[in-house]
Amino acid sequence: MLSRRTKIILATLVVASLTFVILDLRGGDGPFSSARAAVSSVLGGVQRGAATVFSPVTGFSEWWGTQVDQSGQIRTLTDDNALLSTQLVEAENDIARANELDALLRVASVGRYRVVPAEVIAVGPAQDFSWTVTIDAGTLDGVEEDMTVINGDGLVGRVLKVYNSTATVVLLVDPESSVGGRVAGSQEIGIVSGTGRQNSLQFQLLDPLGEVNAGDAIVTFGSKGGRPFAPGLPIGEVVDVSGTAGALARVATVSPYADVSQLSVVGVVVRPPREDPRDSVLPSAPAVAPTRAPVAPQTTDPTPDATSKPEVVQEDEKAATPAPAEPGN
Amino acid sequence: MIYRQGIVIGTCIFIAVVVELTLLSRLGIPGATPDLVVVTVVAIALAMGPLQGASAGFAAGVLIDLSPPSDTLVGVNAIIYLVIGFIAGYWVDPRDRTLIIIMGITSLSTGGAAFATAAVDTLLGGSRVNWAEVPWITLSAALYGLLLTPIVVPFVGWLVKKVTPEMSFS
Repeated sequence: MLSRRTKIILATLVVASLTFVILDLRGGDGPFSSARAAVSSVLGGVQRGAATVFSPVTGFSEWWGTQVDQSGQIRTLTDDNALLSTQLVEAENDIARANELDALLRVASVGRYRVVPAEVIAVGPAQDFSWTVTIDAGTLDGVEEDMTVINGDGLVGRVLKVYNSTATVVLLVDPESSVGGRVAGSQEIGIVSGTGRQNSLQFQLLDPLGEVNAGDAIVTFGSKGGRPFAPGLPIGEVVDVSGTAGALARVATVSPYADVSQLSVVGVVVRPPREDPRDSVLPSAPAVAPTRAPVAPQTTDPTPDATSKPEVVQEDEKAATPAPAEPGN
Repeated sequence: MIYRQGIVIGTCIFIAVVVELTLLSRLGIPGATPDLVVVTVVAIALAMGPLQGASAGFAAGVLIDLSPPSDTLVGVNAIIYLVIGFIAGYWVDPRDRTLIIIMGITSLSTGGAAFATAAVDTLLGGSRVNWAEVPWITLSAALYGLLLTPIVVPFVGWLVKKVTPEMSFS
């Protein structure tokens, strides 16, 4: 039924796809980095335009969030509706963006991070099981690979690939993402890894006897040279701890501060602070009252040199941990 | 004319990829992202035939694998979409094309694409797929494919008839 020509074309296409897979499986930059860069430079501009056109529509993602757990949030929804009816959708969108920039500026100025602001212009499909987004800042804005990405709530992820005017960011909830974390107010450190679900992370303590309780805040403890993760950034709040003290694997479930399903304005940390800001960047509300205490001893040693940071902060997270997955991948 | 067919296929695929990555995936809809690209590939296959469907699937797969923010292996989606485009064009009898059957085909295709992506990624040694979520992702992808069909398939069919009237495949 199929003509000879059709069969030949089909066979060529199949062989071509299999060749692509095999070539790309070898890892590294591979032959596709230039192809990806070319497609990115074309699609980046189109995506940027499309994101602007669609921005009033995508702003409604908050609405979907409330639909998911309707019962608890009907009241919030009613209030939101009343608010929305009084303001134009466009104005609302702009105000939200300005607020996010304000929050971002707060994190950046309290922690003395140097931040390049950017906007999320595309999100990878959920079918890929990878949590990656495109932002509209690239090498021309000073963004480089493995830089930390934050928003007004805290850590968002790190830069995976960077092109001229866009960059791909892998979010901290991606199953292949892992971040060195520290319990705010204590010195307990561990690995925060993504689970693939947008509202939960896993925090594995390095010290099985270490203490961690629900309600504790987790901050990054930083990588060598501030890459891929700058120190002191809020990651999330412990909501559940499984396993008793001393058990081989103590794992805490952490709810991230940043809502990765509703990202719009983010910041890329182009230069981490000279000193670890410790816990000063944490949101002021949660029940971590003693977290301010460790700030004081830090200021007694105000050496501007990066090498004089405390021991824990200075250690490279790859070296300090038996990480199940390296953060660099 | 083969050029006209190529232009129709290319334009449809390009628009579908841009809309899926910038609009549909950002809506925050629960479950899978509505798979406009697969629905478009099926629509092209139904309107033009198996070879055009397979070519459209290949082009769409390569484009979505290469375009940011994709971090998956290049070629995986290409081969999955290629197979879907070919099957949709080859096994569907033109006499059977009521909207109900077409909706069944697209939802099987979008669900199948989601499942196949998970399966191929796991077979190739990826560690990202969380199999506890695969049934839900597959089902929601199938549902969204069903819902996109009444909009996309008639539009692509109309476009194909308009631009390449010599395609007497319907």
